[in-house]
Parts: sequence; C-alpha cells; structure tokens
Amino acid sequence: MKRLSLVITMMLVLFGMTMAQRTVTGNVTDATGEALIGASVLVKGTSVGTVSDIDGNYSIEVPAEGTALVFSYTGYSSQEVDLGSSTIVDVVLREGVLLETAVVTALGVKREEKSLGYAVQKVDGGDIARSGASSAVDALVGKASGVQITRSSGSVGGGSRILIRGVTSMVGNNQPLIVIDGVRTNNQTLLSQGSTAGTAASNRLMDLNPDDIESINVLKGAAATALYGTAGATGVVLITTKKGSSSEQIDVNFTSSVGVDNITNMIDLQSEFAQGRTVGGELTWRSPATGESGSWGPKISDLEYATDPNHPNAPTRANDFDANGVYRWDPNGFLVPRGTGNGQPANVYNNVDPFFQTGMNFTNSLSIAGGNDLLTFRLSGSDLRASGVVPNEEYDRKTVKLASSIRPLEGLTISGSVNFTKSDYVRVQQGSNVSGLLLGMLRTPASFDNTNGLGADRANSTDDRSAYEFADRSQRTYRGGGGYDNPYWIINNALGYEDVSRTFGNVKVDYTVNNWLGFGLNIGYDLTSDERKQDFEIGSRTAPLGRIRLAEFNVKQYDTYFNILGSGNLTEDISLNYLAGVNVFSYDENRTFVDGTGLTFPGFLDISNASNITSSQDANRNRSMGFFGQVEASWKGTLYATLSARQDYDSRLGNPSNFRLEDTGFFYPSASLAFVFSELMDNTNILSFGKLRLSWAQVGAGPPNPYSTQSVFVSPTISSWGSALNFPVGGVSGFDQSSLLGNPNLTPELTTTTEIGLDLRFLNGRLGLDATYYNGKVEDAILNASLASATGYTNVWLNSGEMTSQGIELTLNATPIQAKDFAWNTQINFTKSENIVQELAPGVERLFLAGFNTAGTYLVKGNQYGAIFGGAYLREEAGTAADTDLNIPGGQVVINDDPNDNEYGFEAVDPKARAIGNPNPDFIVGWNNTFNYKNFTFNFLLDWREGGDLWNGTAWALSFFGRSQLTADTRQESPTPIQGVKSDGTPNDIPVVRDRSYWTSSLGGFGAIGEQFVQDGGWIRLREVGLSYRFPATDWMKGGSFGVSGRNLWFTTDYDGIDPETSLTGTGNGQGFDYFNMPSTKSLIFRLSLDF
Amino acid sequence: MKSINKFIVTCLAVFMLVSCESYIEGDGINSDPNNPTSVPISAQLPAFQIQIADMTGGDFCRFNCMLIQQVEGVARQWSSFNQYTGLTPNRFDGGWQDVYENVLNEIKIARADAVANGYNHHQGILNIMEAYTIQMATDVWDDMPYTDALQGIDAINPTYDTQASIYAAMYALLDEGLAQLAGPGGPLSLGSEDVFYGGNVDNWSAAAHALKARAFMKDKNYAGAASEAQMAFGDASQNMAFKYPDVNAAGPWFRFNVSGREGDIEFHPTMRGLLESLNDTDRLAVMDGTFNASHPYLVADFLQEMVTFREMQFILAETDVRANAGGTQAGHDAYLAGIRASFARFGLGDAEYDAYVAQPEIDPGVGNLTLELVMTQKYIAMYLQQEAYSDWRRTGIPALEPVSGTTIPVRWNYSANEYLFNANSPDETEVSIYTDKVGWNR
Repeated sequence: MKRLSLVITMMLVLFGMTMAQRTVTGNVTDATGEALIGASVLVKGTSVGTVSDIDGNYSIEVPAEGTALVFSYTGYSSQEVDLGSSTIVDVVLREGVLLETAVVTALGVKREEKSLGYAVQKVDGGDIARSGASSAVDALVGKASGVQITRSSGSVGGGSRILIRGVTSMVGNNQPLIVIDGVRTNNQTLLSQGSTAGTAASNRLMDLNPDDIESINVLKGAAATALYGTAGATGVVLITTKKGSSSEQIDVNFTSSVGVDNITNMIDLQSEFAQGRTVGGELTWRSPATGESGSWGPKISDLEYATDPNHPNAPTRANDFDANGVYRWDPNGFLVPRGTGNGQPANVYNNVDPFFQTGMNFTNSLSIAGGNDLLTFRLSGSDLRASGVVPNEEYDRKTVKLASSIRPLEGLTISGSVNFTKSDYVRVQQGSNVSGLLLGMLRTPASFDNTNGLGADRANSTDDRSAYEFADRSQRTYRGGGGYDNPYWIINNALGYEDVSRTFGNVKVDYTVNNWLGFGLNIGYDLTSDERKQDFEIGSRTAPLGRIRLAEFNVKQYDTYFNILGSGNLTEDISLNYLAGVNVFSYDENRTFVDGTGLTFPGFLDISNASNITSSQDANRNRSMGFFGQVEASWKGTLYATLSARQDYDSRLGNPSNFRLEDTGFFYPSASLAFVFSELMDNTNILSFGKLRLSWAQVGAGPPNPYSTQSVFVSPTISSWGSALNFPVGGVSGFDQSSLLGNPNLTPELTTTTEIGLDLRFLNGRLGLDATYYNGKVEDAILNASLASATGYTNVWLNSGEMTSQGIELTLNATPIQAKDFAWNTQINFTKSENIVQELAPGVERLFLAGFNTAGTYLVKGNQYGAIFGGAYLREEAGTAADTDLNIPGGQVVINDDPNDNEYGFEAVDPKARAIGNPNPDFIVGWNNTFNYKNFTFNFLLDWREGGDLWNGTAWALSFFGRSQLTADTRQESPTPIQGVKSDGTPNDIPVVRDRSYWTSSLGGFGAIGEQFVQDGGWIRLREVGLSYRFPATDWMKGGSFGVSGRNLWFTTDYDGIDPETSLTGTGNGQGFDYFNMPSTKSLIFRLSLDF
Repeated sequence: MKSINKFIVTCLAVFMLVSCESYIEGDGINSDPNNPTSVPISAQLPAFQIQIADMTGGDFCRFNCMLIQQVEGVARQWSSFNQYTGLTPNRFDGGWQDVYENVLNEIKIARADAVANGYNHHQGILNIMEAYTIQMATDVWDDMPYTDALQGIDAINPTYDTQASIYAAMYALLDEGLAQLAGPGGPLSLGSEDVFYGGNVDNWSAAAHALKARAFMKDKNYAGAASEAQMAFGDASQNMAFKYPDVNAAGPWFRFNVSGREGDIEFHPTMRGLLESLNDTDRLAVMDGTFNASHPYLVADFLQEMVTFREMQFILAETDVRANAGGTQAGHDAYLAGIRASFARFGLGDAEYDAYVAQPEIDPGVGNLTLELVMTQKYIAMYLQQEAYSDWRRTGIPALEPVSGTTIPVRWNYSANEYLFNANSPDETEVSIYTDKVGWNR
C-alpha cells in the first residue's frame, strides 16, 4: 500500500508541471545601499540565471516551476527569496558570511568550513565535466593542492596514479582512499602480467561516469581522515554523486561529447643510416634475414635497390629469396651501394607516424532527476565508445546509476544508490617485452618497411596480411622473422581483452531523533568481476608456439558504518557536536589464472586450442573493525577544537596459528584546532576572514598484504633471462619455500603528522590564500625488508622502516575582474612534498620497488622515496671516505685508459650501483583560469611539474640499435676526448668517436650504466583549455551549453623521450620509468549539454 | 515512530553482539588458502631438483661457457657481458639467490623432515645434491657463507667460510650420503618424485663418486680422482641429469633462445675455429646451429646433465697422462670412450666417430697422449657444461685470447644484493674478477 502511494506521488511529481513563464525584475544592493554589480541571480533548482547590471538591476525569465530566486555575490552570503506571485524582488546581501559554507568531511558529516582545523579542498562537478576527461582521477589534475596525478600510458583507458601529499606507506598502497557517498570504493589497478610488460592497466575509479559527480572533496592530512582509520592514511577523495532534488520538478539532462585523440609527440629517430654494421672495415647494409638488430650500416642515401639474386652484393641467406628468386624482405629489392644497382635510390621509411591513427571517442549520457519532500530520485546512464590512437585498441564503457531517497517520517531518511558499469578494453602489449608495440616499431631501421609497401592503412587490416606475414604464416620482421613482433602483426594477433563488470553503491538510513541524537547506518558494497584474455598467436616472438592467458579477478568489498551523532548549544557561546560509531570492513579478492601454451593450429585463439594448460589461484582477503568517536566544541564561532579517536582491529596482523585479538588492534588519536581570529578583529575592508589551523594526528596500520605473519610454500616459477619455467613441469608439481619470510611478531606501524595552516581572505573574498605546512613521520613501518639470500630468504616482513615527510600546499583564489558581463576567476594550486627514507632495516640500505637491473626504483636510505638506482660512471671519489656507497660520489668521471680494453677512452664503470635519479617532482603548480563573458566561458589550466627524473630506457635501448638521432650525430663527430680524467687524475686526452663500439658497450643501451639516460622529467603543459557557451532558457528547454575543450594540447619539457608523463609500471609505487611505453595523447572534445 | 526506534535499537544490539574477535579471526582468514605452510618431502624434491638443473644450464652454463669462448654474447646485455665490463655484481644476483634461497634452503628444510622421519635415502641424496651445489658455487665464488648461512633473521649477516673448508664439508657430505645410501631406506622409499634418477640408489651412489672425482681434480688429488672416477658411472645412462619434458616446459637454452633472447648469444668463433682445425665437422654442425628453436642440440626436451660418464672418462685419461708420460692403455681407452660418448650425446653414430678418431692428430695411439690432447677433447665434449670453466682455469687448455683487456675473468663477482645486505661480505672493490683466483686455482 505504501509502495503504491509512493508511485502515485512520483507520478504527480512527474506530471505536475505547467509551461507558463514570467519575468521578475529587481535590484541587488549591499547593506549600505551600494549597488552590487554582477551579482548572480539564479532560479532555484534550475540552471536559469542572470547577473545584475552596473546599477545592480536585473531581469530574469522565470519558468513556471520556479518558486524561488537565489542571489549570490563573491564575499557575500547568498540569499534565497521565495517568489510567491511577486514580479519585483529587491534584495540586500550581507557580507562575509559566505564562509559558513558547509563542507563534507569524513564519514560524510557536513560541517561549517570555518570550523575545520585541517585542510579540505573542494572541486565542483562542473569543473570535472568541463575537463573533458573520461575518468575522475584525470579530471582532478591541477584542481587541488597537495594532489599529484600521473597518467601511465596513452593506451585507451590507461590508468592514472594519484597521490595526496606524496607517499605515506613505504611499500604498501599509496593512492588515496576513494569514498563514494560515504563508503569505500575500489580504485585498484590489478595486474595480470609483469609490472614492466603487458598491456596498459586501468584504475577502477574510471568505472564511475564523471557526469554523475556532484563534487569531490579532497581530505589531505591525517587529522582530516582519522575517522577512516588505516585506509584513510593516504588521504581520502570523497566523491558525492548527484541526487535528485526535492524541488518538485523533473530535470532531464542530455550530454553528448565527441573527442578526437592524437599522439602528442614521438622520440627523435634517425632516418639517415640503414640496417647493418661494419663488416671488413666497410659500413655494410645487412639483409633482415641476417637477423641484424642495429642501424649501424651505411647512409641510406648511399644505397640503391637491386633485384638480381646474382648481384655480387646480393644477400645470401636461405630465406632472402623465394623459390622464384624474388627478394622477400622488400618489394623494391635488396640494397646495394649507389651506382651498382638499378638506379632507384633507397627509400627512407617512416615506420612510426603513419602507424598511429586518430582516436575517437563518443560519450552520450542521459539523466532524469526529480523529487519532492517525500522522495527524490536520479537515474542516469551513459555510453562511452573510444577507439585508440593505436589501431584496434578500444574502450567501451556503459554505466547506469540510480540514486534515490525517501523521507517516510519526519527525521528519517532512507537513501541508496546503485551503480552498474561495464567496461571493456582491447589493448596491445607495451613496455619491456618483444611483443610490445613500440619496442619493435622504434627499433625498426629506416631502411625497412614494416608495411611491406602497403602503407599503414592497408597494413592495419587483417584482410591483407602480407605486411606482417609470409604465405607460410611466418612473421615478417626486420630481423628476419626473429627479434620483435612486427607492429602490424601485434595489433592483429596479440591483443589483450579485458571485460569488467562492476556494481557498487550503498544503502543508508539516517534517523534524527532530535538535535542531540541521530543515528546513521551506511552499508556499502562494491563487486567487481574482471575477465581478461591475452592472445599470442602462433609465431609471436613472446610465445612462438602460441599462448593464451586467461585471468579472472573477483573483488568483493563491503564497508559498513553505524554512527550516533548529535549537536547543539551548551551555552550561548559554546556549542558541541559529537559522533561515535563502528565500522566493519571486508575485502575479498580471488584471482584465477589459466595459461595455455603450444597452440595446435593458427587462427583459433581459444584456450581449447592450447596443448599445455596450467592454472593457479590466488586469494587476497582481509577484514577490519574500527570503533571511533569524535567531539568538536566551539566557542563563539571563533575557536573550534576537535578531538577524535579510533581503535582498529586488522585481520592482517593476526597470526592464524596463535590468534589473539589484541595483537591485531591499535589505537590512534587526533586533535585539531581552528581559530578564526578575524572574528576578534574590527571588520576592515581588507581582511575579511582569517583562520589559523593546527592539527595533530596519529594513524596506525597493519601490513600492506595479508598472510604476512606466516611463511608459506609456493609453486615456484624458475626464471633467468628467457621465459620462466612454471610448475607443474611435465606433469610433476613441486613446492618451494617462499623467498619471503613471514613474521608472526608484526606490530602496527605508526604515522604521526602535524599540520599548520592559514586561511586568509581579503576584499570580501575576492582574494584568498590558503597555506598549509605539514610534517610527518612513519615509524616501525612494516616492509618486506631485504635479506642477503645467504640467509635462505630474500625478504622478511619487519617493523623496521622509518620515513619522514614534509610539504607545503598553497591555494590562491582570486577574482581579479568582476563586472556586469565579465568575470575572471583564477586559482593557483601549489604542491611541494618530500618523503625521505630514514631507515629500512638493520644494515639494509636499499629495497627494490620496481624496474630493471640497470635502473630500478628502490627505497634508498637517506634518499627521497623511490629513488632510481642503477649503474653509474666511475667518479674520482668512489671508494674514498667521502663515498656514501649509495649516492653518486664527487669528482670527475674517470675514463678507462687501459689501451687493451675494448672500452679504451670511454667512461669507466663504477662497480657499485648508485642512486642515479629522483623521480619525485620538486613541486607542482596548477593554474586554473575561468573567464566569463555573458554566456561565454573560457577556461584554461596550466600544469607545471618542476623536476622529477625519469629513466629514459627507450633512448637507452635505441642507442644500442643506433636508431636514435643521438647516435646518428655522435657517430659522425670527429674523434674527441670524453670529458673526464684518466686513472692518474690528469685530464682525459684519448680521442674517441661515439659510434657503434661506444653505444653497444657498457656505456650504451643494455650496458651496465643507467645514469646517462636519467633525464629531467619536468614539464609545463596546457592541461585543459576550453570555450563554452551557455544557452539561455527557452520555452522548451531550461538551459544547456555547448563547448569545445582541449586536453594536453601542448607541453614543453627537457625530457628527450615522447612525454615525461608516463609510467611503465602503471599506477604502482615504482615510478620514473619510460621503456617503450605507449605514447601519450592529446584530445579535442566537443560537448553539448541540454537541460530540460 | 516507535517501530523505527525499535529497529535502531535492534541494529545497535546486533553490532554489539557481533563478536569482534570471531570476525577478525575469521576462521583463519589471515592464512593463505593457496599456499601451504608445510609440504611433504615428495612435493618439495622435484622443485629444487629442477631448480638445480635449471641453474646449472642457466646462469652457470651461460656465464662460464661464454668466458671460455664456447658461446659469444653478441646482442643487448650479452654483448657487454661478452666484453666482461657488463659482468657487474648485479648480474650474479640470480645465480647467488638460486644457490642459497632456491636450493640450499630447500635442502635444509627437506633434510629436517627426512631426519625427523628417518628417511635415510632421502637424506643421502639431499647430501649429494648439496655437495653438488656448493662445489659448483664455490668454484666461481671462492669463499662463501656456509656454516652460518640459512638462518633466516637469526643470522642476517652470515659470515664467510673459506673455499677449503667448503670443499672439506662437501667431501663429508658425499661420504655421509654414500653411507646413507648403502644402508636401509627407512619408512619412505625414493620414487618417481626423484626426477634425476627415479629413486635409483645405485645411480645416486655413482653420482656421489663422480662428484668426488670432479672435486679431487681441482684439489690436484689425481690418484683419488682416478679411483673415484672408476667407481662412478658405468655408462652415460647413469649420468646425473634431468630431461625437460617438452616445449611447454623446455630446457634453459631453448627458453633463452626462443622466448625473448633470441640472437643475444651465438656459437663462439673461437670454438668454431678449434673444431675446424681438428676437422671436427660433424660435431661442429650440431653445435653451430643458429641459436633458435631449430638448433639441433639446444632443443626443447633438452637433457640437462649435471655430471656425466664422459667427464669421468676424461678424468681417467687426464689422471693417467699425468701419472704416466704419454698415458697407458687404460688412459687411452678412457680418452676414446670419452670422445665416443660425446659423439653419442650429439646424436652422432660410430661412423662419424670412427672417421674422426682415425685422424692421428686426434688419436696418436697408446702412449702418445698429451694433456693438451685430452683437455682439448674434454673442452669439446664438455660443450655447455659449466664445469668446463674449471677445467680451463685448471689447465689453461685450450689457450684463449681475452675478448677485451688482457685477462679473462677467473671468477664471478659476488651478488650485488650480497654486498648490500650482508655486512660480512667483502667490499666489492676488494674483489676482482680478473685477479682473485678461487682457492684451488691459486
């Protein structure tokens, strides 16, 4: 019966609209009677609005359903006026009270912004939508201080890493907790292949349609996030989704956008020298059939084609010519010195630029929202279809979201939301693997055509395989079928598929008995199923016999809060609010891998075609329970003090063989103080608001992984160089004690942070500055400390780490111009954070995070988090007392002056690996500008990242192959001594040419030195630029907008690779690597939004 | 209104009643469902046996045989290894970790199980495999942690033992193993989980003698070596070896050549020149195939040998030549038996063998053998056997020119991780791969 009445009510709401319209006029002044110019006038619940003119007058067409007008002006409190039947409304706006804006804090509690003793920054949904990004994380770039976001790959749907205030955990997750509508939501990146290879990985927050976001609040420090417990230690991104309003009307929004993506840039390749090397003292072109990997041959301009197999320079390998005597590797023929062939000069092929295409994406979303005092709802759906800049890469996303609430009784609200998302990806391999797209593409000599004369468009298609395959289906690659997969072969035969089905949402019951007593129950769920398939057709260089890899991830996450809360005034001057509750969380992740090798026949990429199938399972599960409480007291709206405490129990600290609850528990307190000193000052026109914030918090945490308290046996993988050997081997299974030693004595780690902040607003809020300084220290950090393997193990879980952090965040807001038709708003976000590794474990000075042998990211004692560690040149002070054994020693580079050595005259190699780079930026600045002129809005966002090293592994490898422009230049230089000193300390005077002998030695690609390709990865980039026009309301439409925006259209950097915004290891902790990653993209997005 | 209050109170009560303890303990939620905390010895044995085979044919074979110019690193990382400058400590992390973490620690755990349960034959073969592993390791690393190793966090900086003391421990392990194998097996017999010998105790005993013979050669106890070699393998079927099943679990060279590193290593011109000078065309054709899936010797179902009958025959020949100038009939027989076994290993028959040894430069007849001849033939017969590096360091035969600089490395660097994490390791600047010969080589 009740349900029926709800339905009837809904129907009434839906049809209860008439179509009439009227004009309301009036005047806006301040308390002294001065006209307010450019004050905003909005019809409540709609997007219909105008601004007051130079005399403070306005005139607005109010649609029939408009019941009230909302007046606002920067620096003044906004005011809502019920219309009734009036057509003239004059208002007086009062100053300064804008600061009573409520902000959403931990656990969704709304609090007055001015009462907060810690930093919270809000980003509006409009700014998210306007960014044109299809993922909420990407849209946040530059919009909040303290936030660092790095896109990992230009593959469609490639993930982004987000950090708030740098890193918090030494080896565990460092990305912030994502909370949507009060419950934790999964933003994982699940890897099914190694971290330096495989396809680009997504981060799961991209399953949320950005158009569903009402606002994002970034909670930065430990005091702000203390109520979230351990999970909040890395910062919290609080996302509030759009809901229906109780305005008794139906709002329909339709948004459609079209985006066009292109690659931003390409690495500088030489197009001067052909495939080959010096043979018998002569620069010689060598046929692909020789397997020659390098472009160290003669100048292409010195070569021409020949087709006669009896030519004296004709190549001689068995597979150079077919049965008819036709050269197989180039339709034009093989290459011979000029003047000895058929006179047709050798072509210079561009195997890179024509390969990439223009990626397109189409997004359509529709939402219907409405409601009244009893019930609200919002239903939205969206459809995204994207094709990548790499042919055959695709990303499709469909979302449906329903959010509704009912208030069946006074004080009782039941609300909930359900979001269903299906995300499908098709991507190709990247990074360090012989099926990686750029790996083979960039190494291909300029004298070889990967399309076999077809041109990129036809070579893309499966209709004509002759670009990448011979009739016998053997691969056509520049190394005679070996080496690396032909890029066109990859996009047709080695695709990775990923199908994600996800549902998440929450059910929430709030019951307010009175001001002093309310209850809240919020149950959240997040279920993800991620099914993957990676094909390697027979003939793949990765798996010449063919391989199918299946992976299935099932992640179930439940998060429940129960709170009691209340607030009120104790005396006229003192008010109090409190919150107490319990949080129950569970996480359950199951992975199943199936690996099928040895395909029986080509053309059927299914696991049933595999002759050898192995599979494995992997579960990751943990539970936690937390009890928390918080009390805030305020005095005269001037002084606010907040105390909170939480006791957590974390299953990851439990020892299954001897479980004691107290081992898993830890307690942490926080305190904060906000002092609004401007309340005590005479109101001057200059300083309108001033607040000092102080906070202190401690946060505990368990180990980053479950099962760390026990040592286990694993089914081993035996690997060194070539592909790994997995058990069972020929039907024999085996187990091996894990190299990671468990530790039943783990205790929680503890992070203490102190934060001080100042919030100043001038000229009635036209100018605002928010500054924060914080420092923190994590002690007893739980990490997988390295052991000498002579102990029998390589790592052990230990409470042994210590890391300090500090940082500065500045946000400057200003409205330099505010006139009747024109306004300019500007915001600058400045972020500087630094994390120094102080201790790892007794006697341990570095700990591997990710990367390669030549250059990897490590925690290095005394260095910033995640230092790049690798081979270095020998320096004069190496081995002296001044040598730290970790960092690059002082003094000049020592030159190898042993005349018998092949590296005579080159830089000598330091036998010790060193910290050769710091991937952390010095600071980040986001400068956001919005210009409004009448109905037009123009905005741009400059993103400046200063410093932050990257190891340019692409350039490193390409130097070995003689493909980079650098090698074309250096091989033609006259002999010159390299800067440095000989072993006796005298200046080097050994002239050398940096030709093939140099770049294939220890000093070039694949050599022992990593240092020479560590480059400054800073940038200045035009992250966003956009122009939009807002439609005025009409009879049939409440409004809307049309805009065009650009993302990442321009950047400047000293980095020599494609784009320093890249990360081989995706969103993980090991940052600072570029190794044949997918090129980054720039986008142009056209967007139409209509409100009905 | 009242019912709502009741609902909330009920909810509250439920929360209070949920026992935090049972929720967090969660029926062993913090124990790994996919990985056991203990396994029977029969499940552990194949894992480290295959690991022993794989590291023998992997890093130990690749580095050792590259240094003695059987193979040549020509591309990417291997081109800098070939010039020796790329042989930085981090390149030996894998081998070092395999020895300690993947083999010796596994043997230690298995032995504890075998001792506790009285599995005598298991103890015997564990001792032999440990002896094999530490001999191979100390031959390239000289002094190493041994008595203080494998203690986990109870000894995070294991101290180093001299090579001489490791050799002494190794002989003791072999003697103990032989004694255990000679006695009763105990409640569990060795079976098919022993992927080297399928539980054949006699073959294990033969292998123990072979390993003693191999070690005595380096200790210059030639008489001892000869007598142990006599007690070792009767024929090649007794070789201590592991046969990889197929392409899906292929031998280390096949995996290297076919999956990812194709073209990085090729047959060495030095060895090609040597074989050509000896008219050794048939064996050359097998060895010198392109290093890819089509290589006739480095096949997917590779037989990875740890110690062989043919090595024993050459030990008999060498000790004979050393004891009697020009050698005796027995030494001559052993010399030819070694060559014949080598031909057989390359899939070549009597016809090819007979034609080859018909050359007087190869078989000068009884009494005319030289160390040069024996060691040259052993160098060829030990193609891609890691022990060949020790033979070359012992005898300097064949004469090799350094690829770069003036000296061929005489040992490996310690692992970079060892330098970093073991405070008792020497400083890396104190270890020279060019001048610091291992104990028996000084």
